[in-house]
Amino acid sequence: MQSKQTFADLFRAGGVSRRDFLKFCSLTSVYLGLSPSMVPTIVDAMEKKVRTPVIWLHGLECTCCSESFIRSSHPTIEDLLFNMISLDYDDVLSATAGHQLEDVRRKTMKDYKGKYILAVEGNVSTKDDGVYCMVGGDSFLNTLKETAADAAAIIAWGACASFGCVQNAEPNPTGAAPISDIIKDKPIIKVPGCPPISEVMTGVVTHFHTFGTLPDLDRLGRPKAFYNTRIHDKCYRRAYFEAGMFVRSFDDEATRKGWCLYKMGCKGPTTYNACSKIQWNGGTSFPIGSGHPCIGCSEPNFWDKGPFYTRLAEVPFLGSDSNADKIGVIAVGAAAAGAAAHAAVTAVKKAKAGSEDNDKA
Amino acid sequence: MGRIIEEIYVWRLPVRLYHWINALCTVALFVTGLYIAAPLFNPPLGEAVWYKGMSWWRYLHFAFAFIFVANFLFRMYWALFGGDKYGRFGGFRPWSPSWWGKPFLEQVESYLFIRSEEPNYVGHNPVAALAHFLFIFCGSSFMIFSGLAMYGENNPGGFNSVWFGWMIPLFGSSYTLHWAHHLMAWIFPIYLIMHLYAVFRHDVVDRTSVTSSIVTGYKHKVEEEPV
Repeated sequence: MQSKQTFADLFRAGGVSRRDFLKFCSLTSVYLGLSPSMVPTIVDAMEKKVRTPVIWLHGLECTCCSESFIRSSHPTIEDLLFNMISLDYDDVLSATAGHQLEDVRRKTMKDYKGKYILAVEGNVSTKDDGVYCMVGGDSFLNTLKETAADAAAIIAWGACASFGCVQNAEPNPTGAAPISDIIKDKPIIKVPGCPPISEVMTGVVTHFHTFGTLPDLDRLGRPKAFYNTRIHDKCYRRAYFEAGMFVRSFDDEATRKGWCLYKMGCKGPTTYNACSKIQWNGGTSFPIGSGHPCIGCSEPNFWDKGPFYTRLAEVPFLGSDSNADKIGVIAVGAAAAGAAAHAAVTAVKKAKAGSEDNDKA
Repeated sequence: MGRIIEEIYVWRLPVRLYHWINALCTVALFVTGLYIAAPLFNPPLGEAVWYKGMSWWRYLHFAFAFIFVANFLFRMYWALFGGDKYGRFGGFRPWSPSWWGKPFLEQVESYLFIRSEEPNYVGHNPVAALAHFLFIFCGSSFMIFSGLAMYGENNPGGFNSVWFGWMIPLFGSSYTLHWAHHLMAWIFPIYLIMHLYAVFRHDVVDRTSVTSSIVTGYKHKVEEEPV
C-alpha cells in the first residue's frame, strides 16, 4: 500500500497521457452534471489531493456491483479507475487474505480515522445475531458496525445495501436489512441498482474525492445527478408510449418494431435511474434497448412489486392472484349486492307496515 | 299522496354546481385512469408521430384532475366562508363523543332496520356526513395529493415535486404510490352505488324530494300518508 499518492501520480505511473487524464476529468464532470468551469477543480483535486482511502466491505450480496464497477467504460484508464481510489481493503479483490487482510482494514481505520470512505456492497443479516453472513470469523453485522464507527461517509452500493434487494424480499428468512437500518449516525449515499451503472459508481466516488462532501441527494438518499429522473422520462421509446403503441406479446410485430414495453410490465415510469441516459457497458445498450421491460431494480423492494411482466402489482396481503382491479370489482359488486339486499328488506318492511295500517283502518 | 306542507331551500347554487362538476370529474377521472393503467386500443403499425393514443388519455386525466382540484378547493372555501347553513359541515363534529351518541346511533339503527321510524334531517344525516367525510373528503384528498406527487415526477424540483413529492418516500416508492392511487380509485364507484341507493331509498321512504333537490335545490316536507 503506497500512501500519500495522488490520482495524477497513479495515472502517470500507469502510462496515461496528460491528454487522456484531462479527458477523464471532463467526462466525469459531464456525468456529474457539473458546469465546464468545474473541470479545473476536478483536475486540481485529482493532481493535489491524496487519494481517498476506501474500505470496501461485502455482506449478503452477489458481487454484481464489483463486476459492474470494474467495467467502467473509459478505455485506457479502466484499470486505473479501479486503482484511483486507494482501495485499501476489499476482501474479494485483495491479493492478501485472512488475518493479514483484516490487519490492513484495522490499520486503515486507525491511520485515516474519520477520513476514509466505507463502501458497502450487500446488506446485513440481522436474524440470530447475524450468523447467516460470517466474514473473516465475525458476523458481518459486527464488522460493519466496527468499520462504520470511524468512517467519513458510507456509500451503499447497489439495491442490497440501499434498500435490501432479493435478500429481504418476502419472507426474508435471514432478517436482511439495508445499511441505513443499521448505521444511523453517518451520512449514507445510496447508489441503488442491481447492479448500479459503473459510471454512476465512479462518478459518486469522484464527487466525494473532488469536493470532500456528499453529492446532492434526493428524498431517498440517492445522488440527484443520476437518480433525479425516471427511466421513462429519457427513454428513447417514449414516443411510442405517448402514441399508445405497445408491445402486447414478445413475439408480435410490435416487438420487432421496438414499440413501448409498458404493457409488458415495464417499470420505467416508476424507476429512478440513469440507464436511459448513460446506458451500460460504455453506452452499448440498456434493458429496454434490448427489448426487455425495465424491472425497476433500483427501486425499493422491487422484488415484492411482483410480476415483472404485468403492469398492475398484486395486493400483497391478499395472496398471489389478486390485483387492485380484481379487488375493486369484487368490492363494487359487494356494494351493489348490499344495496339490493337493503332495498329488498326496505320494500318488505314497507309492505308489511302498509298492510298493518290497512288492517287498522 | 301527502300534501306538501313545507318547501326548504337546502342546496344553494354553489353546492349544486360543485356536486355536478365533482360527479362529472370523478367519472371521467375513473375511466381515463383505468385506461392509462391498461391501454386497450392499439394503432396500426406505423410511425409514432401520427398517433396520440396514450397522450390524449393522459391529457384528459390531468385536465379533469385540475378541474377536480379547483372544484374541491372551491367547496372548502364555500364551507368555510360561504355562510351557507347546510353547506358548511356544521353538524359534523366527529372529535366530540356526543356526536357519536344518540342521533348517530339512531340513524345507524334505522339503516339496520332495528328502529322502525326514520329520523329526518334537512341536510345530511350523521351517517351520511361520516360517509362523505371518509369517501369524498379523505378519499379525494388522498387522490389529489398522490396524483400531484406523481404528476410532479415529470419535473423534478418543480412545484408539484417539491410540495407533494414527499408522498413517494411515505409510500416507499413511486410504484407503490401508483398502485395505491389505482386501488383507492375504486372507492369512488363503491361510493357512487351507496350514494345513489341511499338517495333513492330516502326519497321513496321519506318523500323529501331528495333526488330532485340536487337539481332544484329544494327539499319538501309532506304530510303523513293519509290513512
